[in-house]
Amino acid sequence: MRIRRLLLGALLVVGSVAALPTPAHAAGAKDHAKKLYACVQKAVEEHPEAKKGEGEEFENALEDCKKAASLLIPALPEILWGGLAFVIVLIVLTKFAFPALKKGLKAREDKIREDLEAASRAREEAEAESAQYRSAIGDARSEANTILEEARADAERVRRDVVARAESEAAEIRERAQEDIRLAQERAMADLRAQVADLSIGLAEKVVERNLDRDTQRALIDSYIDSVGSGSR
Amino acid sequence: MVLAELLPNINELFEWKGLVGPHTWYEFNKVSLMAFVSTIICIALFWIGGTRRRLVPSGVQNVAEAGYLAVEDNIALAAMGEEGRKWTPFFATMFFWIFFINIWSVVPFVQFPATSRFAIPLFLALVSWLTFIIAGFVYQGPKYFFSNINPPGVPGPMKIIVIPIEFFSKYLVRPFSLAVRLFANMTAGHVLLAIFAIMTNELAISRNSGTFQLIFAPLPFLGLIAFTAFELLVAVLQAFIFTILTAVYINESAHAEH
Repeated sequence: MRIRRLLLGALLVVGSVAALPTPAHAAGAKDHAKKLYACVQKAVEEHPEAKKGEGEEFENALEDCKKAASLLIPALPEILWGGLAFVIVLIVLTKFAFPALKKGLKAREDKIREDLEAASRAREEAEAESAQYRSAIGDARSEANTILEEARADAERVRRDVVARAESEAAEIRERAQEDIRLAQERAMADLRAQVADLSIGLAEKVVERNLDRDTQRALIDSYIDSVGSGSR
Repeated sequence: MVLAELLPNINELFEWKGLVGPHTWYEFNKVSLMAFVSTIICIALFWIGGTRRRLVPSGVQNVAEAGYLAVEDNIALAAMGEEGRKWTPFFATMFFWIFFINIWSVVPFVQFPATSRFAIPLFLALVSWLTFIIAGFVYQGPKYFFSNINPPGVPGPMKIIVIPIEFFSKYLVRPFSLAVRLFANMTAGHVLLAIFAIMTNELAISRNSGTFQLIFAPLPFLGLIAFTAFELLVAVLQAFIFTILTAVYINESAHAEH
């Protein structure tokens, strides 16, 4: 792209050089000859003595013909056309083009200003919302803490209840077991007593044989066992 | 010297045959054509740029908007302050028209600034002159004419000298200096380019006195390139100077000196 531009630039420069000599022939040699001819003719007419081939004034007039007209003398047609061109551009631009352009610039300026204002409003809203969220989060956190505390307290209470219940149950079980033990012991003692009595009677019968009748023997043995029983307690 | 050799007189560089109605009061020549083409370019640029109205400007719209704002910032506001904003369309027209009519000096195959014909700068200077005088009367009323040439703080007897000088410089010299400045710069630039072009042509192409001349041909050619770039700068600068001076004169007319 850059090379293409450079080439184009170079081409333009060469083209300019090629075209430059043309202004040198701007008005054309013919035109110049015509003017010169008219000037010389005028000089001859104004100085009759010239026809005799003399006169310094005539020579001066001829010299003047060779001089260039001043560049500072404006050409009337150029003033008219140039002026007309300027007046047209002035009217069209100031009446139509520039107001349209300014309108466009104003519209853009307004749009940018509105957008900036909208953006700043949106930011403020967002900030307010974020503050709201932050406070909501704070509330939620403290609520969560309260809930946690309560849950902890509940758990503690439940634990204490459970432990107490378990302890009382254990105590009950223990009591019941002791009672069972005691009953079993008593039963065992009764059984033992009956067996010991039977054994003793059998034994005594065999020893004493018929020395004693049966009822007497029985009473004797019972009293003996009672004394033994109270002695063992 | 080169010109004297090649041209019967300097006007050969500046006078154009009439395209329509030669030698009449309505003669339409190349200079007039340039003026109208510049008008069309200005109108096209700002018409397209002004009516497109895209939110994000690009291309012609960008150039038109940037150009307009550059004139507003660097000429209207710089010379006149906030008051200059409503003058911007006038200054922008003046600047861009002068610029486009100047820039022909480096446009290939045209290479002639229409402002090097005294008629164009003279007309523009008259526009500027009339504008600042009318602006003076509009802003200050009838007292403008005298307040403008009577600087405050000048002791009585000095006024006899100062007032005529001020009158002369403000009402008579200003339009002339505006016109001559633009005209002389563009004319000088055109003559300079023509001289270098003719020298290059003589050394490289005609070579009337042999091949030896070819060695020196690149020198005027390089000069030609350099001065073409320089002319581009001059075209912008002269348009800017003409417009900002107009702005300064209008500003002076708008405010009485204190």
